[in-house]
Order: sequence, then structure tokens, then C-alpha cells
Amino acid sequence: MAAAVSSPLTTHVLNTGDGIPASKMAVTLHRLDSELKIWNMLGVGTTNEDGRCSGLISQEAFTSGMYKLRFETGSYWESRGQTSFFPYVEVVFIITDPGQRFHLPLLMSRFSYSTYRGS
Amino acid sequence: MSALRLQHIKRHILPENKQTMAGALGTLTTHVLNTGMGVPAANIALVLYRQDSSTNAWTLITSGATNDDGRCPGLITKEQFTAGVYKLHFETAQYWASMGETSFYPYVEIVFTINDPEQKYHVPLLLSRFSYSTYRGS
Repeated sequence: MAAAVSSPLTTHVLNTGDGIPASKMAVTLHRLDSELKIWNMLGVGTTNEDGRCSGLISQEAFTSGMYKLRFETGSYWESRGQTSFFPYVEVVFIITDPGQRFHLPLLMSRFSYSTYRGS
Repeated sequence: MSALRLQHIKRHILPENKQTMAGALGTLTTHVLNTGMGVPAANIALVLYRQDSSTNAWTLITSGATNDDGRCPGLITKEQFTAGVYKLHFETAQYWASMGETSFYPYVEIVFTINDPEQKYHVPLLLSRFSYSTYRGS
């Protein structure tokens, strides 16, 4: 068994409209360069069959700062032949203690979404 | 009867507020609720943008703040409200800081697509220090 440390930042996307995990959704993680005020993309992934996306960032790279998770929700609904109200969802959050673990789920339907700091 | 409840009733009755409540400008509305405390989020700064379809740049439409009921009447006029991609930006951390609290999100941005500007769109934000949700309401 690999002794890999799991990602300090995880997400889980649920399709609450259909009551299933949202699989094959593209997710990108960005961090704000506090001097230049631009977003740097750190990682890109696709949610698996369980709607989870691992390995977005390593423990070493996970420093304090302002982060953004961008979920390609519009593309997801399109791939299912449906329209949706939001072309994408971006969740911006601040990490002050990168020693902690952060789980940021996204519960979404075609016309709604919610997110929270979970565990 | 609470002061907030009286205010709400007043807005339904008084002529100068009737136009807003009747929805003449009510093509796009929002409502911010502080679900952590179970109150409307009053005085939260917000900005409405529309995306320029050729350059993808965001054009500022309105900037304002929520009233005591967490609403912001007059976000956009019928003339301005054309089909396109819009963004509502809420200064949520500033709101929590004004109450001496930290929060996980520095701000909340909601991007949505308006295909039919003849319809009414209500985009509320339910907010706590560590969570938020939004939906197309009425």
C-alpha cells in the first residue's frame, strides 16, 4: 500500500437534482498571488464516479492564502443534455492554517447550489 | 409587533415604495439571509456585473447594499436587463467583520445566465460564516 498522504483539500460534488454523485465534472484549483493580484492555477482534475476529486494539491504546495475552486457545472449539465442557470460555480475561500484538512463539498442542481466547510 | 415587521408592512403600503414592491424594476432581485443568526443580512455591499459577450470583460451595472430586510431594490432597470451572463458579487467577509466575526469566504460571487429578460429572476443568498447557498427563486 502506498504511504501517500491524502490531499489536504478535498471536494465532493453531488447532483442533488438527480440524487447522484456528479461524476466527470472538471474542477480547477487556483491561488491568488497576493502581490500581483492574479489567480494562478495549481491543479486540475475531474470528479470520479463518486463525485470526488483527489490530488488537487499536495501538502507541500498547500500554503496559507486565498484559493478558488472552479467547478465546470454548466459543461456538466450540457453533457447530460440539460441547461442550467449557472454557467460555472466558483468558490473563493481563505486558508489561514494549512495544517488543517479542508473538505469543500458542492451540492448542486440545475437551478441551485450550496457549499460549506465540511469534514 | 417587531420594528422589522412594521417596516415590511410599511413597504407594502406607502406610495413611494409601491413601485418597487410591484416589481416595475423587479426584473432581477436578490435577498441575503444570515442563516447563522436567523436574520436578514442588512447593509451588505454588493455589485452587479454583466459580461460583455465579445470581450468577456465584466461591465459594472449597479453597486449598492442590502437594506434592513436584506434586499436591494433597483438592481437593474428593464432597459438595462438584456440577455447575457451576469455576476452578483457580495462583500460577505466585510459583513461578518462588521459584526466582529471571521468567515471562510472573503466574498461570494454568483454567476448566472439570463436567457429571457422578460421573466422575473430572484437570486437569493443564504449565508453563514462557513457556508452559503443560492438558487433561482421567486
